[in-house]
Amino acid sequence: MPEIKVTPLGAGQDVGRSCILVSIGGKNIMLDCGMHMGYNDDRRFPDFSYITQNGRLTDFLDCLIISHFHLDHCGALPYMSEMVGYDGPIYMTHPTKAICPILLEDFRKITVDKKGETNFFTSQMIKDCMKKVIPLNLHQTVQVDDELEIKAYYAGHVLGAAMVHIKVGSESVVYTGDYNMTPDRHLGAAWIDKCRPDILISESTYATTIRDSKRCRERDFLKKVHESIERGGKVLIPVFALGRAQELCILLETFWERMNLKAPIYFSTGLTEKANHYYKLFITWTNQKIRKTFVQRNMFEFKHIKAFDRSYADNPGPMVVFATPGMLHAGQSLQIFKKWAGNEKNMVIMPGYCVQGTIGHKILNGQRKLEMEGRATLDVKLQVEYMSFSAHADAKGIMQLIRMAEPRNMVLVHGEAVKMEFLKGKIEQEFSIDCYMPANGETVTVTTNPSVPVDISLNLLKREMALGGPLPDPKKPRTMHGTLIMKENSLKLVSSEQALKELGLNEHQLRFTCRVQLQDPHSDPDTLHRIYTHLKSVLKGYTIQHLPDGTVMVESIVIKVSSSAEDPNTKVLLLSWSYQVKLSSFLMILSSPGISPV
Amino acid sequence: MDADCVLLLPGVCQVLLDSGRSLPDDTTLEKLLDWLTGITEADKEGSLLEVHPCLLEFISFVVCKTSSDPSVISFTLKLCGLMGATEDGFKRLQESSVLDLAFSRQHWHEAGLWEDPCIRIGWIQGLRSMLLHSKALSFFVQADLTAQLLQLQTDTSLFVASAANQMLAHILLFFQPVMSAGCNTIGKKHWEDKRTQASIIGPGVTMDTSEDYDAVLAVTSKYLQESLVPKENTQFHQSLQTLKLLGLLLAQARPPLRDQLLQTAADPLEEVVTAGCSQLTLPLMDVVLAAYSSSTGEGVPDQHVARLLSSMLTMSKPADLIQAAAALLSRGHPDSVHAAQAVRILLLPLDLITGQALLGTNTAADKHRFSMVDQLKSKTSCISMICVCLTNTPQISLMPADLLPCPSASIVTAVLSLLRICSGDSSSSPAGCPEVFRNVISSGKVQKSALEALTGLSSSPGVKGMLIEVLAVLIEYLNHPDSDPIVLHKSYQAVVQWLSVCVDLSFTTDKLQQDLVEVVKKRVCDMRWEVRDSTVEFLGKLAGVLVSAKVAPDTSEVLLGGCCSASLLREALQDPESYVRASAISALAQTLAHSWQQGAAPTQQQTDIVSRLLEILSQDTEGFARRAVVQYFIAWFSSRSSSTSRSPSTSTCSTSPLLMNSVSTVLSLGSADLDWEVKVHTLELAELLLDEAFLGHRGYRKGSDTHLALPHPYAVVSDQTCTLHTHNRKRTEGMDSDLAIRLKTLVEQGVFSVLLSGLVDCDRPVSLKACQLLIKFRETVCPVSIEAPEETVAEVSCELPGWGWGQDISKTLGMTMSDQAKVADIAANGAHVFDSEDCKENVNKGGDSVCVRVCEVLRSLGLDAKLDILIQSSDHVHNSPLSLLQDILTAGAAHSHPDTQPGQEVIVDCY
Repeated sequence: MPEIKVTPLGAGQDVGRSCILVSIGGKNIMLDCGMHMGYNDDRRFPDFSYITQNGRLTDFLDCLIISHFHLDHCGALPYMSEMVGYDGPIYMTHPTKAICPILLEDFRKITVDKKGETNFFTSQMIKDCMKKVIPLNLHQTVQVDDELEIKAYYAGHVLGAAMVHIKVGSESVVYTGDYNMTPDRHLGAAWIDKCRPDILISESTYATTIRDSKRCRERDFLKKVHESIERGGKVLIPVFALGRAQELCILLETFWERMNLKAPIYFSTGLTEKANHYYKLFITWTNQKIRKTFVQRNMFEFKHIKAFDRSYADNPGPMVVFATPGMLHAGQSLQIFKKWAGNEKNMVIMPGYCVQGTIGHKILNGQRKLEMEGRATLDVKLQVEYMSFSAHADAKGIMQLIRMAEPRNMVLVHGEAVKMEFLKGKIEQEFSIDCYMPANGETVTVTTNPSVPVDISLNLLKREMALGGPLPDPKKPRTMHGTLIMKENSLKLVSSEQALKELGLNEHQLRFTCRVQLQDPHSDPDTLHRIYTHLKSVLKGYTIQHLPDGTVMVESIVIKVSSSAEDPNTKVLLLSWSYQVKLSSFLMILSSPGISPV
Repeated sequence: MDADCVLLLPGVCQVLLDSGRSLPDDTTLEKLLDWLTGITEADKEGSLLEVHPCLLEFISFVVCKTSSDPSVISFTLKLCGLMGATEDGFKRLQESSVLDLAFSRQHWHEAGLWEDPCIRIGWIQGLRSMLLHSKALSFFVQADLTAQLLQLQTDTSLFVASAANQMLAHILLFFQPVMSAGCNTIGKKHWEDKRTQASIIGPGVTMDTSEDYDAVLAVTSKYLQESLVPKENTQFHQSLQTLKLLGLLLAQARPPLRDQLLQTAADPLEEVVTAGCSQLTLPLMDVVLAAYSSSTGEGVPDQHVARLLSSMLTMSKPADLIQAAAALLSRGHPDSVHAAQAVRILLLPLDLITGQALLGTNTAADKHRFSMVDQLKSKTSCISMICVCLTNTPQISLMPADLLPCPSASIVTAVLSLLRICSGDSSSSPAGCPEVFRNVISSGKVQKSALEALTGLSSSPGVKGMLIEVLAVLIEYLNHPDSDPIVLHKSYQAVVQWLSVCVDLSFTTDKLQQDLVEVVKKRVCDMRWEVRDSTVEFLGKLAGVLVSAKVAPDTSEVLLGGCCSASLLREALQDPESYVRASAISALAQTLAHSWQQGAAPTQQQTDIVSRLLEILSQDTEGFARRAVVQYFIAWFSSRSSSTSRSPSTSTCSTSPLLMNSVSTVLSLGSADLDWEVKVHTLELAELLLDEAFLGHRGYRKGSDTHLALPHPYAVVSDQTCTLHTHNRKRTEGMDSDLAIRLKTLVEQGVFSVLLSGLVDCDRPVSLKACQLLIKFRETVCPVSIEAPEETVAEVSCELPGWGWGQDISKTLGMTMSDQAKVADIAANGAHVFDSEDCKENVNKGGDSVCVRVCEVLRSLGLDAKLDILIQSSDHVHNSPLSLLQDILTAGAAHSHPDTQPGQEVIVDCY
């Protein structure tokens, strides 16, 4: 039986370094090629040596698909294509292709900042890699080769994020990447056809969470910022260049407008222009409201948010600053944090996850004394808040997507094992489908039912309809009898007569015979007559004939009686029938009281 | 171990014991193990368990308490192995009865944890770390772990299966017997133990080790014999893994072990070879080649192995055959007979498709011809086979002539024919195989492979004369409307490569040049930015190739038939895609390099380019283009400096005011840029100016490794340095007087401001570079070793703006100088402000600006201390063991007192 295999090299019961290998219909597809920011050595990248025998990934993989621009999904891409040497097709959506290099460049800077960093890609490598990328449009089927096709669907999450439907013959897999089932201020909700894939590989970041309403979180966020500003404090919001930063900017901009607030909002290092550029360029990827109002007013042209200069950090009075990077591990956000940390009126709001070792991680865990360079200590007096604005589907959203796509099997990735376990139980219970949660390196094998397309002859269909059955209905499959013939590499279901004609064959009748012994002291004709009488009495609706040639015929079954040479009381019944007859029922009749077989 | 860490370790162990789920993140345990591994490696005594009893308590507790988090158990197993890697540690673990339980599969199985792959990985890696001495080997054998390990070889987890294989190979190789000198029999072997050699030299221990080793070898050998040949279709995985193990072993096994392995595996291997299982071809070839090369290392190759190798090269399935031949070549051809055979196999598909008769007329010898043609008719296998062949053609063409069935030029011709077929033109291959043509026509994969092969074939002997033919095909490709961007990119690469090898342009024709011009003109306007970028890059590389080949200055122009690459590149400066703009700038620098080196006065066109570049630097929204602009000026300035040093007569005209004016603007714009790399490049440009101003001056050294180059104030000065300084002093006596002038020039050019603003930049690479340059500056102008600088030098002043970086520098000056109580009046002003004619005017204009003396600033910034901090990198604090332990403790505390955690639960989502 055909099989589909799914092996995560990363994102198997964890988050970071998403990299999932799917083998389907003889094709090998890699889904995402991310990095783990928690490591500084080769462990940050997926280990491709496990999947290639001779080190040449290009020979092994048929294509690589990147779901979106976050580094845990695309961070290892230049490493794979320019350093490991993968030279096959790489697919991602247009916005992902445009924004990916920005994020990769950002990360390259961090690695330069670290001492002794080797084995890392250069700017030229990022560009060379991007030049190899084939852009995808939503809902457009792309033929990777004669057999493999892929189709992208809107995933929400971040600008350009896509789910992908992979199909080889009749087998198919859907990979969600990261997705969001509820629209936010700038993006729409994920959507997919009822494509009934053999496997749906879904992220499960919020596997056990039913998130409170977005409005509540937004209100909470605005309240905190407002309170801090009111008491004359400064608010630092560390963000990554693109993504939730824009969501929060829209939120603050609208709030400032409504409340007529005067405190300045800054966005660091010219990223507003850049982000604006991409959101304008890919306006079709934003939500309906933004698209509709775009002509009158572009949501990304902010009135209250201005570019930041490092000297502003020392200005007196309240202000809000969006600064990169998002984990407070280097650059401008860290510099501002150091300046403001000592004042309890100030506040830092961390809108996302921070890896171990970063200042962001430390303060989120409650550390209030931070050891900085040169053994200096920084007292953290400012208020620390964590408000997740990550756009992932929660447990309800994941179930909603399953309902939408109707998969035959589920594979959970990109989440924590304990939480996945819970969701797995829920899915299996509610949808009665198998749900798997492979660890990294483990392979899930799913057997599929091959669906072989067959042409049906019109005559056969007409005959079937003439028999009075219901009209053909794609939703109600029914059995149809005919002869399956293979001609010119295609299969056809035809009537047996047509089959003989088309194949140029003669019809032959096949008869089966068997012997049954009976103990009966009567002569052979008497025994035959007794059988005839018995059958007449029990087989009421059947045509039974006693023929002059000394045989009895029940429909097409012929019965003949002869005596055994050694013992005349032992009669041998010769039965002969064609393949259409159900012999078992007949034998049951024979064995009924009146005549007892030996 | 750091004293602070020692204090925290027991607490960390406690957190891990309490619950693994409260860990900071999923990398914590691995990082902790990395740190402990480092400490164990440094701890020769093996006293870690003794010094830190909490570790042993922790291991014992986790091993017994199976309710811990699986990740913590896995970590503990690895730690246990690490601690048992020394005999002392091992003894201690055994005394505490930890080992039996830790490495008992049954124990973990009963606890329902064995199903978790992380436990199995921990189990294997723990054993792997421990098996470094004979006692551990005895433990391994007595616990009968070999069979269990062999079972894991076919585990459902790739990681577990691979680790099991590595582990088995480690045991057999690490403890493998070594032949005593002059001894050839296994009976006279002695046993090698890399760590505790002294302790097992005694006859008793040797015997123990020998017995233990033999026991492992016996079980493994039996397994190899039984599992090498797949019994059913489903057992391919086991055979594959066993072949991988055998490959690992044979690659490093020495004679007694190698002979034993070969003896054991000989028959099954032959059976596998005969069976011809496609899935096993590559690992099988690995094994055969490893066996072959290890046996040839000692003289005559083993006949049996040689036979196996020959069988591999006569397999019946063409695809397997191609794979085997490619594997043979890629691992270095073992002998001429087999290499020649592999070459014939690899060239066969190319020969068949193109009909180029690469294998000569005696084709009857190639018995695979018919089956190969059959296989080539299937699209998938055709593409896959032809790509493998193409990948190997460059290597084949460089092989000794006697191994080749045809000259290299014929291979090039065949590749060109294939390229033509791919683009739908089979006219050049009348003898080819038309049934196969449809499989390769328009196949991007074959086109890419063929173009790569063609690029590689450029350095083959005797092919230079084919330039015209090659260029004709490549231009055709560049012109083809359906060519995808990567095919075009590879075509450009091939053109550049062939031209760099055959620089004599007489090889080309006017028609070709014209065609190339036309296609470049067309492609530079392509719809796809990828194509435009490759075209622009091509123009730059072409200029670079021709300049480096020292051909006539305008060769690139000649080659491009007056298409004037510079004007095309100027157009490209307006490209909407920043990558293309950046490539155009770099290409312009390469194109103009020759005229810069000649020191020619800038033309109007160059002047226009400069204004456009400065516009880009000040206005472009993307960093790539701005970085390229600064690099353009670096290239210009450097080429000018090098031409000056080569020919002083040209220095006057090369010191063009255009360049010097532009450099000042670049410095000012670049240092205020938002992109860290633009700022770093600006500092590199500033360094060139420093080099020019101070080179030859006392104490000044070229290069950026200032920190190492700087002599310590109390260091012993070597004779060589003294001589150098004396010599310099003599030579630079006259120069001291103009040091002040040079210094003033640098200040006026903005170099000093660039360095100061860089020093307080938030991006560490920028501030590090600036700090290094400032120290270099200080050591030249006013070294710390000299009490007071020359008066003229000391008088030179500069302006600090009253905002941004100027403010930061003023603050730093105020702080450091007041701390040191050097100058009493500074504390009040925050900087040593004074009246200076030089900057008075500016100060008045600027309002808040202040004037400071350069030397004072240089001496008061605390540069050495700052460099020490910067050089540590941002990781120093955050990823230190202490930081890690603190994070574990804090996360543990937050977990046990959820009230202390601010806000909602932090969920690992994405970044």
